[in-house]
Amino acid sequence: MNPGEANMACAEITSRLVFYVCDEVNEQERDAIEVHLADCAACRAQLAEEREFQTAIRCLPQRGDRMDAAGIMLSQCRSELAEKLDDLQLPAVKQTVPAFGWLRGWMVLHPAWSAGTLVLLGLVAGTEYSQWTSAPNDGGVQDQVVNVRPSSQLTADQLSKMAVDGINFTPSPYSGSKNVRVRLNAEQPIELDGNVDDSNVRNVLTFVVANGERFDSGMRLDCLDALKNRAEDSKVRAALLAAARKDQNPAVRLKALEALRDSGTDSTLRQVLLEALQHDSNPGVRVEAVNLLVQALEMQNQSLALAPLPPNAPVEMPAAPMIQATGRPTARDGSIEKVIQELESLQHNDPSRYVRLRSASALREIAARNDQ
Amino acid sequence: MSLPRWALAFADESGHTSNSDSTLASVKSLASLEERVLVEQAQAGNRPAFEELVRRYDRDVLRLALNLMKRTEDARDVYQEAFLKVYRNLHRFRFECTFYTWLYRIVTNVCLDHLRRRQARPEDQAPEAAYSTHFEDTTGDFFERQREHRATLDPERHLLGQEIQTRLAAAMERLSPRERVVFEMKHYQGLKLRAIGDALGTSEETVKNSLFRATRKLRNELGVLR
Repeated sequence: MNPGEANMACAEITSRLVFYVCDEVNEQERDAIEVHLADCAACRAQLAEEREFQTAIRCLPQRGDRMDAAGIMLSQCRSELAEKLDDLQLPAVKQTVPAFGWLRGWMVLHPAWSAGTLVLLGLVAGTEYSQWTSAPNDGGVQDQVVNVRPSSQLTADQLSKMAVDGINFTPSPYSGSKNVRVRLNAEQPIELDGNVDDSNVRNVLTFVVANGERFDSGMRLDCLDALKNRAEDSKVRAALLAAARKDQNPAVRLKALEALRDSGTDSTLRQVLLEALQHDSNPGVRVEAVNLLVQALEMQNQSLALAPLPPNAPVEMPAAPMIQATGRPTARDGSIEKVIQELESLQHNDPSRYVRLRSASALREIAARNDQ
Repeated sequence: MSLPRWALAFADESGHTSNSDSTLASVKSLASLEERVLVEQAQAGNRPAFEELVRRYDRDVLRLALNLMKRTEDARDVYQEAFLKVYRNLHRFRFECTFYTWLYRIVTNVCLDHLRRRQARPEDQAPEAAYSTHFEDTTGDFFERQREHRATLDPERHLLGQEIQTRLAAAMERLSPRERVVFEMKHYQGLKLRAIGDALGTSEETVKNSLFRATRKLRNELGVLR
């Protein structure tokens, strides 16, 4: 190795000693450096210095360790971060946009157009105003609200043409039933005030329930709630039965069944309940139907115990179930058999576990009652 | 020197692990799987999962910030800014690298921003925290005195007298932000140059140059130690 080569090699090696000491050279470089170091005392001295320097650097106490030796700052940082994250998760504050802000902006940018538009608006308003003010003198009370008194009955035709703008229910301080205020949008706006005992109010509420497709489900539920103690009324009952059978909203169907709970039973109701058991998609409705059927059977038993039907009397209420030799109850008109068949089917096949359990329980109740 | 948790993770990722024990490997893979689940939960908006991720790494983050920024207020700012950035951008993390790499990238970028701002406007900075390089000036803290006592018994530490430490601290201040970050990550966080390059979004060669320049500058400032 001539002196020039040696010097160049030394310069190159020295520049690599930084990485050699901290183990950042590849195998090839390492071998070359070590071969050179074996022969070069100057570079060995450089290496020693480099090692000393890096050791000293690493032994230097770190501020990070000294400044938060107890971890207090770390805890504080965590708390601050948690607070900031809380702030981030809060719903963004809505900026209040000034009314007609866009219009104001447009008007500022287009003053000539703004002035013209305002003048035009003033002209239109001025010419039209006289017509608006003279209108009541010509044609009467087009937009006046009429408070309908109980004496003036709403006809079926009026009901079919009306739209219900709103129904408000407020608890009455004097009676159990709620006060009802109904706003109707018919040929002439109508506002009804009263409670469910008023036939007009009841007619409107019944109409809403019976024509569910025309009104939203919240309104139908409110009406059902108001009508629940009036199911003895034949029109109301028919509307409740129709709602229980056909309404699209399961909550409405369920509410309709609940409203029918205390109204006694008849073949139509039984049929509706059986249909609900067989076809209703909502398990809650099916369970309510089971409950009502069990209750209906109980009521029949009680009424029969008090006043047995004469053998040849026309049967409106289903006959009392009897226990056959097999222990299976039967009925004179066969309807109870149908109920039990349906309950047995539900007990085994219904997709809802709760419906299956309730059906089994209902069957046990029926059997126990018949055993008595 | 004990390495921070993410240094080990970087080492794994960069293929520099010397331990090839299969049990250790499976433990690590389990840990990374667990961490992936945590990250996914955090991405789905699970706040406790995010806080668990923070607790895993925030000690190292704060230590790095304190070492680099020297001032407690700046270090706290770096901590908050870095983790808030992580929180806001976590949904963008696609597991193309490990979470540590991604986190470290954010932290080092935040540190670099702060250091550059400080260089540009030194007058805006708060006065340096009351940290003395003169160990004798440290009073009251038993553990600090123990540390000092041990240092005097340790021959290597004994080499570092007060004068050298003061000069070194001053010399570190004169490094460029990138040189300081590279030097800190190499010598105090124990990262490999390749991992530092990943974190800084640059090549290993560039990091090597930065480290070389930093070392030269420091040695020139300090002169010969002996």
